[in-house]
Amino acid sequence: MKSQFNKGMLSVFLGILPMISFAQEKQIFNDSIFSNALFNAFLVIVIFLLVVIIGLSSAFKNLIQSETKENKERMSKTKGKELLSIVAIFILSSYTASYAQEATSVAAQVVNDWKIGGLDYFTFISLSLAILIEFGVIYFLIISIKNFVKSNLIAEIDVKSLPQPIAIKEKNILDKLNASVEIEKEAEIMLDHNYDGIEELDNDLPPWWKYGFYLTILVGIIYLFNFHVLHTGDLQGAEFDKEVAKAKLEVAEYMKTAANNVDETNVKILTELADIEAGKNVYTANCAACHGKIGEGGVGPNMTDNYWIHGGDIVNVFKSVKYGWPDKGMKSWKEDLSPMQMAQVSSYIHSLIGSNPPNGKAPQGDLMQEAVAVKDSTGMAADTNANALTQVDTTIKK
Amino acid sequence: MEIEKFQYDNKTVKWFAYATIIWGLVGMLGGLIIALQLVFPVLNFDTAYTTYGRVRPIHTNAVIFAFVGNGIFMGVYYSLQRLVKARMFSDLLSKIHFWGWQLIIVLAAASLALGKTTGKEYAELEWPIDILITLVWVVFGWNMFGTILRRRERHLYVAIWFYIATFVTVAMLHIVNSIEIPVTLFKSYSYYAGVQDALVQWWYGHNAVAFFLTTPYLGLMYYFIPKAANRPVYSYRLSIIHFWALIFLYIWAGPHHLLYTAVPDWAQSLGVVFSVMLIAPSWGGMINGLLTLRGAWDKVRDDVVLKFLVVAVTAYGMATFEGPMLSLKSVNAVAHFTDWIVAHVHVGALGWNGFLTFGILYYLIPKMFQTNLYSKKLANMHFWIGTLGILVYAIPMYWAGFMQSSMWKDFTEEGQLQWQFLDTVTRMMPFYAARALGGTLYLVGVIIMTYNLFKTVAIGKFLPNEDAEAMPLSENYTPHSKDHWHRWIERKPIQLLVVSLVVVAIGGIIEFVPTFLVKSNIPTIASVKPYTPLELEGRDIYIREGCYTCHSQMIRPFRSEVARYGEYSKAGEFVYDHPFQWGSKRTGPDLVRVGGKYPDSWHYNHFIEPTSMSPGSIMPTYTWLLDDDLDVSSLKAKIKAMQTLGVPYPDGFAEMAEASLRKQSQEIQANLKKDGIETSSEKEVIAMIAYLQRLGKDIKTVSVNNTK
Repeated sequence: MKSQFNKGMLSVFLGILPMISFAQEKQIFNDSIFSNALFNAFLVIVIFLLVVIIGLSSAFKNLIQSETKENKERMSKTKGKELLSIVAIFILSSYTASYAQEATSVAAQVVNDWKIGGLDYFTFISLSLAILIEFGVIYFLIISIKNFVKSNLIAEIDVKSLPQPIAIKEKNILDKLNASVEIEKEAEIMLDHNYDGIEELDNDLPPWWKYGFYLTILVGIIYLFNFHVLHTGDLQGAEFDKEVAKAKLEVAEYMKTAANNVDETNVKILTELADIEAGKNVYTANCAACHGKIGEGGVGPNMTDNYWIHGGDIVNVFKSVKYGWPDKGMKSWKEDLSPMQMAQVSSYIHSLIGSNPPNGKAPQGDLMQEAVAVKDSTGMAADTNANALTQVDTTIKK
Repeated sequence: MEIEKFQYDNKTVKWFAYATIIWGLVGMLGGLIIALQLVFPVLNFDTAYTTYGRVRPIHTNAVIFAFVGNGIFMGVYYSLQRLVKARMFSDLLSKIHFWGWQLIIVLAAASLALGKTTGKEYAELEWPIDILITLVWVVFGWNMFGTILRRRERHLYVAIWFYIATFVTVAMLHIVNSIEIPVTLFKSYSYYAGVQDALVQWWYGHNAVAFFLTTPYLGLMYYFIPKAANRPVYSYRLSIIHFWALIFLYIWAGPHHLLYTAVPDWAQSLGVVFSVMLIAPSWGGMINGLLTLRGAWDKVRDDVVLKFLVVAVTAYGMATFEGPMLSLKSVNAVAHFTDWIVAHVHVGALGWNGFLTFGILYYLIPKMFQTNLYSKKLANMHFWIGTLGILVYAIPMYWAGFMQSSMWKDFTEEGQLQWQFLDTVTRMMPFYAARALGGTLYLVGVIIMTYNLFKTVAIGKFLPNEDAEAMPLSENYTPHSKDHWHRWIERKPIQLLVVSLVVVAIGGIIEFVPTFLVKSNIPTIASVKPYTPLELEGRDIYIREGCYTCHSQMIRPFRSEVARYGEYSKAGEFVYDHPFQWGSKRTGPDLVRVGGKYPDSWHYNHFIEPTSMSPGSIMPTYTWLLDDDLDVSSLKAKIKAMQTLGVPYPDGFAEMAEASLRKQSQEIQANLKKDGIETSSEKEVIAMIAYLQRLGKDIKTVSVNNTK
């Protein structure tokens, strides 16, 4: 019993090896690979399949042992071979995975730009390979168990010629997987009490269950070590900072090449019909609730008169849209609308001036000079930029 | 020694069975109503008592504590007597227990409809009902232990271990989580605030699932599966290991409901690892149940009771595998706050609890009425329509949850959020409709069962007292030398109770105590101030209307959430929140930084008709907030209660509170007038607007200071 337990623990440790190599690898890299969802998914699959393998092989081992008890002479030759092959498979699978990891750490330094789902190409391939190999091992184990049971069954039929061989064959496989005593022999493990007619058997713990339990405990310990003892994993604060920094880089990269990079320093009134149409759509979807369907005002001020609280020239309208006036209930739209969309909606709003809708809300703010509305005076623009800068400051502080 | 003759009490079992059926129908109807309200908001009927925010707690409380609660008592009263070979300890206690529990249910339904709620999910009932629950629970325990102590069976069967653990743990959870300061007869404030309240509440919430929906039902499974299948239990030693491992590990897993929130990282990590370790102990129950059917699978094909039990145990296995997966942070980041979680709990509730209850009912009723089931065909129909109902319910919800979460996280290449929150809501409509259909199918199945059982009762003859006989226990007992070591505690119910309590207390103590004692767990923020009296009254309305059933108040540290809602939430922001209102589901957007996002008039119009401000919104209308005057009669008591809880209002503030409230109301009234809205400053809506406009403002301008 004890040696069986030790063997089990050994196989669990062999299974854990690749995971330990992951943990080691993480210290080499700054960017935690554990923050990658695909990697985590792969890891879960790898671990899950390992559990299956451990369960299957220990069931197989039980199968061989119980069979050999009954049929020592016939099986003695194959037993050793089978056991040997199981151990070999374990070592092979664990080391393939850890080898793959080593390969990754070397390769990742060489090739950095091939990425699949945030994983570099070699990590992706080697993890996929590890999973494939695991599937192969599982397939091999299942086939072996099947063949083993079949050959055994044939031998039994020869001896006893049972009436329903098929039913018995199926039961056997399940029983072996769970290391349960066959129904025919269950009287041997029946406990001597009876509760309102309910009796209890004393079957052993299913090996796959038992080793699965050990494995989850190990995973738990490794998890806590990773995050709270070795501090190799990112806690949520660091994870967030990295996510934001990465996104910032990506957006900056995209904006370098993007044609629609508009901000308050270079925004111009757009007059193309397509732009005004697009602006109108943005307006209807996002602004109409407060400023009225045709800009007549409501919760928010009227957009169609010449009076403006925060300036009605294109730069100021763009700025109001972009940064909002949070203390007055106008939200900032820069997280919701692209710069181009903000320019389009600002231009659309500009086009509404003087449209005189019915039910227009009473004017609010200062009368805007016609000249200013059409082209920005230099003084106004300078003032605008200064404002914009302070605005930017406060948002950064936030 | 002579054989003793005695009788089992079937009458109490029958009452509990009837109550199970009736409350099951009521609770599921409530569920169907709220499911339909999400598709057709008009079904909120513009009346306070029928809005989603009030009906949803009625639904959850009814199915958990009324349907499953009565189901537990039905099964325990039936099986316990037979497993210990003794009649229930006292018929009077049985009667008090039964009627006491039904009284609690009626009071709960009425008080929740009236908006009397603590605002803590699954523990919404106010303090007088909490006390009543405690008393009735003690009666249940007294009756159960009295029976066990008079037993004629030396050892306690595994089902009874589960009953005992259930009794002692639910008592602990209920008492610790319900510690609150009463303000009036039906208003109290949670003793805990913010992060601590969240930890205690989800320790309770998670383990209500564990010790109200799981352990008692595992006990029932251990009785009814071997009885119905007439097979021995598969493995005694598996029972021992999975029982102790389950009750020990379950308690720790509560923080997995709070991943990526302002709860300290170490507590979250404990929640993750203990959830992962829970897979095997949970599956131990499923394996022992399913493998007990070894050699009896041919019976499952014909026996409708076994069919229900098998699907129940399978659903249990699925839900308890999914739970640990959802506890992995990367999965949780996707699933939390979405309908994925709703699907997950309903696989457990409809599959495990529902189907196990139905199986037991189909088994018990014919037995107690000494007849056969009226119609096997109808029972089979119930089985299939119920199974179909679960699938039609769960699959669209999984899909919807995954889809909505992805939409929340989508960015354009320019770095803007791809979708407005509302876009993600309108996309949910077909899925919500499908879910309502699934719920309808399931409910139709229950109606068929009710009819079938009613007919069975009509043709049968009830046996109120069932004759039994057994040898009394001898005074002296010498255990067999080769007995399993665990047999010792099976002879000692009191020791079993005490050891169970110790085992379940460990996890909670280790997780709570540091957050109370170690200051660095909740870094204080100097700019966070207590609510003004008007805001406090507004907050109480927020709680009363059950806003937390749809709106979270917790921004997680994700780029997408910070872009959508603002700076992510910090532990120090919630120190005056008695109770916390983080929520667990985002049917509507997060509100924790809604303050100042819209003008007062926006909120005013939004309460009259949400679609006027957010076309396509499925939020109910709240016109009574505009009509009803704010009741400030308990304001003084509220301020004093808050002071008792450590909220730093200045001395004598209670006396000045009303003046402060009036002043702030008038400011809001004036603000509304500017936008052309005429209203009295004494309306409830004013307080509500004050509260919403305050939310999240304390740290909008100031950076967080970690004072350690």
